Amino acid sequence: MLTSIILLPFLAALVILLMPRDYRVGIRGVALLATLGSLLIATKMFLGYEAAEAGVGGYKFIQRMPWVESLGINYFVGVDGINVGLIFMGAIVAFAAACVSWEIKTNEKLYYVLLMVMTGGILGAFASLDLFFFYAFHEFALIPTFIMIGVWGRGENKNYATYNITLYLSAGALIALVGLIGLYLQVPAAQRTFDIVALTEYFRANPMATNAQHFIFPLLMFGFGILVSLWPFHTWAPLGYGAAPTATAMLHAGVLKKFGLYGLIRIALPLMPEGAKQWLNVLALLCLGNILYCGWVAMRQRDLNQLIGNSSVAHMGFVFLGIASLNLIGVTGAVVVMIAHGLLAALTFALSGYIRTQTNTLNMDEMGGLLRKLPFIGAALVMAMMAGCGLPGFANFVGELSVMFGAWKASFGHAKWFVVAAAWGGLVIGAIYMLRAVRSVLHGELSEKWNDVQDAVLWRKTPFVLLLVALVAFGFWPRLLTDKIKPSAEAIVKMATATKVPEPKVQTAQAK
Amino acid sequence: MFDDFKPEDVAWIILFLPLLAAAGIALFTKRDGKFSAQISIAAVALTFLVSCGLFLMFKDAKLVPTTPLNWLNIGDLKVELGLRLDPLSLLMLLVVTGVGTMIHIYSFGYMKEDRCMGRYFGSLSLFMFSMLGIVLSNNLVMTFIFWELVGVSSYLLIGFWYEKPSAADACKKAFITNRLGDFGFILGIILVWATLGSVSFDELQQRLLKAPEAWGGVAAIAGLLIFCGAMGKSAMFPLHVWLPDAMEGPTPVSALIHAATMVAAGVYMLCRVFFLFGAHTVWPEFLSFLNGWSALDIISWIGGFTALIAALMAVQQNDIKRILAYSTLSQLGYMVMAVGLTGPTAAMYHLTTHAFFKALLFLGAGSVIYACHHEQDIWHMGGLKKKMPVTFWTFLLGTLALCGLPPLSGFYSKDEILAAAADPVHGNLFLFIIAALVALLTTFYMSRLVLVTFFGANRSDHADHAHESPKVMAWPLVILAVPTVLAGFWGIDSFLNRQLAPEAVAHHGNFLETMFAPFGHAPLAAFVGLGATVFGFSLAYGVYAHAENDPLPEKLGFLSRAMRDRFYFDEIYSGLIAITHEAISRLANWFDRWIIAGLGVRGLHGSTEIVGRALRLVQTGNLQTYAFLFVAGLVLVLLFAMK
Repeated sequence: MLTSIILLPFLAALVILLMPRDYRVGIRGVALLATLGSLLIATKMFLGYEAAEAGVGGYKFIQRMPWVESLGINYFVGVDGINVGLIFMGAIVAFAAACVSWEIKTNEKLYYVLLMVMTGGILGAFASLDLFFFYAFHEFALIPTFIMIGVWGRGENKNYATYNITLYLSAGALIALVGLIGLYLQVPAAQRTFDIVALTEYFRANPMATNAQHFIFPLLMFGFGILVSLWPFHTWAPLGYGAAPTATAMLHAGVLKKFGLYGLIRIALPLMPEGAKQWLNVLALLCLGNILYCGWVAMRQRDLNQLIGNSSVAHMGFVFLGIASLNLIGVTGAVVVMIAHGLLAALTFALSGYIRTQTNTLNMDEMGGLLRKLPFIGAALVMAMMAGCGLPGFANFVGELSVMFGAWKASFGHAKWFVVAAAWGGLVIGAIYMLRAVRSVLHGELSEKWNDVQDAVLWRKTPFVLLLVALVAFGFWPRLLTDKIKPSAEAIVKMATATKVPEPKVQTAQAK
Repeated sequence: MFDDFKPEDVAWIILFLPLLAAAGIALFTKRDGKFSAQISIAAVALTFLVSCGLFLMFKDAKLVPTTPLNWLNIGDLKVELGLRLDPLSLLMLLVVTGVGTMIHIYSFGYMKEDRCMGRYFGSLSLFMFSMLGIVLSNNLVMTFIFWELVGVSSYLLIGFWYEKPSAADACKKAFITNRLGDFGFILGIILVWATLGSVSFDELQQRLLKAPEAWGGVAAIAGLLIFCGAMGKSAMFPLHVWLPDAMEGPTPVSALIHAATMVAAGVYMLCRVFFLFGAHTVWPEFLSFLNGWSALDIISWIGGFTALIAALMAVQQNDIKRILAYSTLSQLGYMVMAVGLTGPTAAMYHLTTHAFFKALLFLGAGSVIYACHHEQDIWHMGGLKKKMPVTFWTFLLGTLALCGLPPLSGFYSKDEILAAAADPVHGNLFLFIIAALVALLTTFYMSRLVLVTFFGANRSDHADHAHESPKVMAWPLVILAVPTVLAGFWGIDSFLNRQLAPEAVAHHGNFLETMFAPFGHAPLAAFVGLGATVFGFSLAYGVYAHAENDPLPEKLGFLSRAMRDRFYFDEIYSGLIAITHEAISRLANWFDRWIIAGLGVRGLHGSTEIVGRALRLVQTGNLQTYAFLFVAGLVLVLLFAMK
């Protein structure tokens, strides 16, 4: 089941590659069908998650195939409560991204091949339980990102942005790679494996040497952190998303970016509790840089995409805060924010992309009163902005709320003041820039030059409706997510807070 | 599923009817304004009927909880959405749905010519859903959820005419100011949860009874944080600035949201969590300068101060809606003050009567504005008494109730507040004087409003051609006038006392006894209140009875200008924001652009380039930096591992 979710986009890439370049409708159709297929299977998986049988390590829907046996590399995929939601979200965003790609009019064949490879890579990265594939799938998704921004990107900063995002993300991926290799080498040669489940088991029984943890944890934290635009390594994000084609921005900001967070939660926290103890308060400090500082930066932006990009960086702060709080509520909240923000980021970039096709600009000073011309897109934008400042009814609220509740009880110093700052950033600063955007884009008097602006026709509404429905559904029934996340997060928190010698009894008492 | 059905679960219908209406309108019928309006009106009328039924069923019960819905459950964080029927919520339910129904019907006439009528009624239904959620909520998180939702529906309705820059600015301001309050509110909720381990009102109350000592240390600060939420919604000083601007919305919206229900939600919420304020006050170290004050003292002073400054501002406004808006502010100040003086019953009582007569006044003002073709300056009106008799007489009744003339409802509820301030144990002499002064000012500015608008000569063509509003708008006025007159005799206070002050003695008497009860019960408060009303009216009559324009600006000079310009709070705030958030944001943006992205990235760029060139020298081939770093990293780690 999982394999078909990953394989469909790759197959589509292959099919498109074999098609003549002027079969535009066919190319687009294949891409849409493939992502829709992935989405349907992912939906089935998400809904059937509870009923499915758990295999090794508590993972479900496991599939394993030996690849390079001499090195112990297997194709090994499976989901638990944490990545099942992420994959589902990724499949929604992928289909939405394929839908909004109608705006691409040049060299479509190559574009769709890259888009499909990126999609497959993303879904594969989240499904992999083998370190090698985990990393390789991520690279598979990352490289098309750079090319797509470079070729189909927009704006005068395009080249600088491509250069910048490539530099940063490659550096981040490399640092994380160094960390992962270090991790791999910590296992004695006879037992070395790329299998994440086996690694987890191994380190649960034989905790890693403390000094190694102190060294490897920051490599992963900063390496993965750069991939997620951790302050102060965030400037690539607004710049890159501002220049990227809509679908690329949606997929990257929505899904691929979460890879770093996923890596932190899946690998860094449970395997290196001592390292976490040492470094998570640094992470908590830096996340305020995301929440407050990037919020303030967002307040000054006059370009809609820059504003959305900065706000997306600011939202990542909540995930970092949840991870840093290192308790069940905080980590669960962090995963909910990851999923909610994925949907939201995709939605906002899709909306701004649509507006750009109509106005050819995203300079908010030139816009105004567009709600009259764009009743649907405008209403969706208002909803997205409200979701962005944490309005109940949208999934983001649940995540941010849990993160704040969790962080209040965190053990790092002055945790309560961090929550105060986060609440200020989320509730007040967020509201200021989101509403300012609504005020200058949609409200006010309509300028004559926008007389030709057209609202989305029925079938172009599909991606927006899909993303909004998902956001609202998770906002109204958060237990769709939290009930799945909770047991998995609990296991991770249990390992991450374990003292050096494992004491199972103490831990179960804590879990209550 | 229906095996364990309980009659009180009918309450869920109340909550979801408006939501269904809102969703249906938004998704399907938005284009058909009339049909949308009918859906919305039908929904609210049905909720009113169901509310009446629930009231009759459960009015003698102490507390009836519905079957809860497990909404969120992560570790210690457990949120069960459930509805709570007790005297407090039943009364509020009737007020919200009753006044709401009248205003929905009135809106049908008022908004008839607007082409976005569908959007209007959709937002209105969304508001009803959110407001009823607050009323029925059984826990703090649920209250917060609906708290935010009323905020957003208020945002949508204030900004209904979003093409008008003033309306667009006003809705933004309202939402952000409310968010400032909610910032404190959510921290308060987290603090309560972290200290007592629950967010459900019921459990909190039980835990407080069992182990009050756990609460003492944080009671005051948590109480004040929660009060922050009320400060935002109920527009207490210093967050009062958004409410007058909110008058940019359509007038029925001002009546429903910004006079009768939403702004009163703050007071309602305070009464709901009143049990949290009972504990002995201990301030944390960094707030030790507050020693000697309790959280309730601070609340009562903020309420009293708001009541006073708002009444002063109202005296020199010329826009009919703004006068009423400041009057609302001032009355809300009264209610909050009453809560602070440990008189939640008085606060809720005044909330109820105020909802009736202030909704009536706003709808009357709307009728006047409608008749005068959207003229809002009272000095451009005049002589409307003869042209609009229904509006005039109902407006007059509302005014008299607001001024506190017996036997109208406002007299009794206001009297309870004055009595609470005069109470020898919990009262406060200064606050009593302030309250009396506010009563005087209230009568003064309301008399000014009525005298200038309805009496004298027509001052403009609009006023000249005015005529009575259509029946769909006139009838709600008449119907609202009934409780405005009679609500003082319905025993609302003793009904509330059952829950809020069980030890109070309920006094039953015949009609005449009830009418004069305040004079026997707390004579000082009753006579001072009445005196203030009479004095205020004679003052206003002397100044405005035959005035062609306002003589006060000349007499008062700067003071008058300061009142008209709202004591310059808005200017001070925008200055403050400019030197704090705007400045920080500029600085952050500059730092981001030139230091982090500039030096950092370009520096990295430069160094990579140097490395690249160096590599090119060494390797001559075009080996990718990427691969090089890969190997370098590997070597580093190997070195480290071998050590």
